[in-house]
Amino acid sequence: MSTTPPPTAQAAAGAVEAVKVYGTGDTEVRALDGVTVDFDRSRFTAIMGPSGSGKSTLMHCLAGLDRLSAGRVRIGEVFLDDLSDAKLTELRRDKVGFVFQAFNLIPTLTAAENITLPMDLAGRKPDAGWMDQIIGIVGLSDRLSHRPSELSGGQQQRVAVARALVSRPEIVFADEPTGNLDSRSGHEVLGFMRYAVSDLGQTIVMVTHDPNAAAYADRVVFLADGRIVDQMEAPTAERIIDSMKLLGG
Amino acid sequence: MFRIALKDLFARKRRLVTTAIAVVLGIAFLTGTQLPSVTLSDSIKSLVGDVYSGFDAVVRSPRTQETPFGQPIRTQVPASVVEQVAAVDGVRAAAGVVESPGPEIIGNDGKVVGGGFGPPTLAYNWIDDDALRIGALREGGPPTSADQVVIDFRTAESLGKRLEDEISVATTQDGVRQYRIVGISGLGDDGSQSTGVRPLIFTTAEAQRLLDQPDEFNYIVASAEPGETQLDLTQRIGTALPEWQVLTGEAFTAENQEQISQFVDILEIFVSVFGYVALFVAIFIIYNTFSIIITQRTRETALLRAVGATRRQVVVATLLEAVVVGLIAAVLGLAAGFGLAALLLRLLSGFFTISSSVPSLSSGVVVLAVLVGVGVTVLSAVIPAIRSSKVPPVAAISEVSVDRSDLSLSRRIWGAVLVVGGIALIATGLAQVGPNPLYQVGGGAVAVLVSVAVILGPLLAGPVSRLIAGPFSIGGRVDGRLAGENAARSPKRTAATAAALTIGVTLVTLIAVVASSIKASADDAISSSVQADFVVATASLASFGAIPAGAAEEIRSIPGVAEVSPVRFTLLRLLDPVGVATASTSTTIPAGQLGAPSDAPPGEDDFALGIDPATWFDVVASGDLEGSPEDLVAGTMAAERRFAEERGWRVGDTIPVYFVATGVQQVRVALIYDEPLGQAPIWLPLATFEPNALPLFNVDNQIFVTTQPDADTAQVQSDLDAQFADLPTVQVQDLQEYIQTQTGPINTFLGIVYGLLGLAIVIALIGIANTLSLSVLERTRELGLLRAVGMTRRQLRRTIRIEAGIIAVFGTLMGLVIGILFAIALTIAISADNPGVLKFQLPVTQLVLIVVFASLAGVAAALLPAWRASRMDVLEAVSSS
Repeated sequence: MSTTPPPTAQAAAGAVEAVKVYGTGDTEVRALDGVTVDFDRSRFTAIMGPSGSGKSTLMHCLAGLDRLSAGRVRIGEVFLDDLSDAKLTELRRDKVGFVFQAFNLIPTLTAAENITLPMDLAGRKPDAGWMDQIIGIVGLSDRLSHRPSELSGGQQQRVAVARALVSRPEIVFADEPTGNLDSRSGHEVLGFMRYAVSDLGQTIVMVTHDPNAAAYADRVVFLADGRIVDQMEAPTAERIIDSMKLLGG
Repeated sequence: MFRIALKDLFARKRRLVTTAIAVVLGIAFLTGTQLPSVTLSDSIKSLVGDVYSGFDAVVRSPRTQETPFGQPIRTQVPASVVEQVAAVDGVRAAAGVVESPGPEIIGNDGKVVGGGFGPPTLAYNWIDDDALRIGALREGGPPTSADQVVIDFRTAESLGKRLEDEISVATTQDGVRQYRIVGISGLGDDGSQSTGVRPLIFTTAEAQRLLDQPDEFNYIVASAEPGETQLDLTQRIGTALPEWQVLTGEAFTAENQEQISQFVDILEIFVSVFGYVALFVAIFIIYNTFSIIITQRTRETALLRAVGATRRQVVVATLLEAVVVGLIAAVLGLAAGFGLAALLLRLLSGFFTISSSVPSLSSGVVVLAVLVGVGVTVLSAVIPAIRSSKVPPVAAISEVSVDRSDLSLSRRIWGAVLVVGGIALIATGLAQVGPNPLYQVGGGAVAVLVSVAVILGPLLAGPVSRLIAGPFSIGGRVDGRLAGENAARSPKRTAATAAALTIGVTLVTLIAVVASSIKASADDAISSSVQADFVVATASLASFGAIPAGAAEEIRSIPGVAEVSPVRFTLLRLLDPVGVATASTSTTIPAGQLGAPSDAPPGEDDFALGIDPATWFDVVASGDLEGSPEDLVAGTMAAERRFAEERGWRVGDTIPVYFVATGVQQVRVALIYDEPLGQAPIWLPLATFEPNALPLFNVDNQIFVTTQPDADTAQVQSDLDAQFADLPTVQVQDLQEYIQTQTGPINTFLGIVYGLLGLAIVIALIGIANTLSLSVLERTRELGLLRAVGMTRRQLRRTIRIEAGIIAVFGTLMGLVIGILFAIALTIAISADNPGVLKFQLPVTQLVLIVVFASLAGVAAALLPAWRASRMDVLEAVSSS
């Protein structure tokens, strides 16, 4: 773990000696056990690891959805540990984009309203040019007035990606974004995420257990038992599978 | 299956509470309004029994007439009869009793004590015989001279008076006069009880003088010698004095108790109507709650079905749950109702002695509570239970949790049947066609309300919710937009929740509109017909006999006064064929009553005004007159045109009329007028009135005063004020004040009705809170997502509050519209019978206030669910499990 570089100003988000403990005594579980990691700007990072490795916990803490037991996390220049619930909410709204595995959209709002939701919550107007560009990229121009129930699973996830990107957040967190999709839709969604990083300069951190999905990333961070156990630059699916095998056995 | 149902129930305590709370409140109001009446009735009965326990026989005049305000009126008995009674064998002692309203106590604030509603002030004479005296002295002694009085301990306490203090009493004879308090009394053996009536006990001579009944008593009482039975004594007196009515002390007591019971019964019916309204509202809430939770449980039900539960078992399990919830709620509701009743009794004990502060728990009320509680809950659960049993087992693995089904065809048909049937029932009821018009109107109104809740409501809920949310969504505000969509997404639920409020608001609106129309009509009638500039009237409508006898003459001498016209009123009984036909049949003679039976022949009781024909038609516009005021001489009367036409009376006809004071008289119709005032259909010239009215009524009730054209009206008013300055029982009113006094009681009545309907509205608000709590639970994921992408707790709370506001406004507006429609129907119906009597008027300010209040209350109801939602664990909501 000594190979992990210290946090730099280049990083969009990062954690230092992050510890998350659930329960006490005999039932104590250390979901994160001293994780120090940085996520560079304009890069696509995948976090991988077996079930219970702490990858989701790490993401939740990084995104301000959960708090650490010890250590620190930051988004941009802001350390999250001292923030009140209200400040944390604002930070999620203004600096962070989310794509979840399912239930990404509010069923009562149209696709367009779902996309602008964080900006509407903030009372800000979305940048029209940027919004059109995003919507064009994800290919939803003719679906904007539809409600989620009228969209396919792939379309729903594309709306979620568009929502995550439209406010030009500091960083986008994606939690198994393709977990519920067939492979063709999954590749479409991952393609858009790849494009958002390469061509639009966005920063994305994605939790996944699918080597094929992780292969879209610039870098893969491997977690096991709450620690970072390996990293890989410019991954391919084959190399990831090999690494996973090593970790697993 | 039974175990599963119970385990499931107790595993979710909050759901249990949510379901039960509406039933608890419904039952609490239902029983709380019924329980006190038993205790109340018993207390008063035992008190009355106690009061008259020393009477073995009562002798009174057979000349009597029922009144709409409790005690019948009756002529007096001459003092000489006391001697005759005393001379009868077996009579130990006899005494004349003076008992009459008239004198009023003036409080320390210079105003009449207890003016308006509530128990009256009554004048009594002191009776020396201990057994025949009503009540017992607590302190001091009897009144021995004209300036002395005995008052009861409650009056003394409330005025802070003690022995030897002076008390101000207003009478027609002397204006306000000071009496010295020489004794303080109370009812019961030790004088510790009270019925709320304020007695003023004078010497016999003074009491008779004040009431203008010299040497006359209201009734005579006798006490038997030892060994003599009441019946024997009464029979002997009856034989000795055949021209008087004689009854046993027990019969007299029973008669008084009966009157009080009737009053308490009417009160109970009046109050329990509101209990039933509350229950009706509660049914909506409980049905809605069951619908929601059973839908939310779809997955569980499907799982049960998947592992082999039959449809029947699923239904039975739900109904079992309903029985348990209903039973628990009924018991809790009964307990709460008991508390409510105890509270009511406590309040009432401020007025009169109540035997027990613990309401007596009759088995009837307990059975009612349990039957209604369980019945209502089970009925509410039946439809959702059957629906839930139709869930296919595959639903266990899908994500269904909200009932978004469209309105089924059968629901639409049933709804339409209800609307049409309800309207037809109301129409026939109002037109007085059919066996029971009142039930028809009531049943029709219920049908219409239900149909609104089941079809119209759900159809409107979506569009109206979005419309109401409009102003909150301006500028892309997402909380308002979300609230609107949330309210619109499950129209059936929103409509059912709103319907509870709709019922309350419908009734409030109906009553507000009708009251406003009545007031407007009275205002119209008075201001268009009364041409007087001032009216000298009694300070409270309840106290008559307050205007001194010579007052009218004195007013005539005030400079600038043109006309002075005094008015009196009395009851009479019309014996013409129409009157006889409408008379209530069979007046049975109660056991223990002997001697002359009541001599009032069957007929129709009506009010009549006593007027001065020389001036009356100058102060009151009476429309086209048939006949001339000069024809109104002794033995004649004037009748209102429509009243006369209905009865086929023409000028010159002679009508038999029964007066309590003088018996049957032949009265000639000398004049027919177009009734403007709406107070009485018959006007008697004072020449007819004075000889035929009881002393009680033979006093000026109002004096209409007009000023000369060039008079300084302000000066006239101040002269008038000066003349009555020392008489707080009399008020000088200009026309506007006069109208306000005449319509004042409507406001008091409205206040009571609003208070009682408030109960139904409170239940409706709890329904809103209930629905939102369940909706929040159902939307856990969605709310979590909103929080994750940046909705603050504040925004989330606001969203839920707006949603509650939308439901409340929706329910209120529906209630407003239906209430106004009902009011229009009622106005039309009343106007069909009595053209021109009721003028429809919308109380706009009041209606706006109702909407604002109900909406704000709806928002307040959402505070708890909103708070709970904002505290929800975001992570749990968004984690992909």
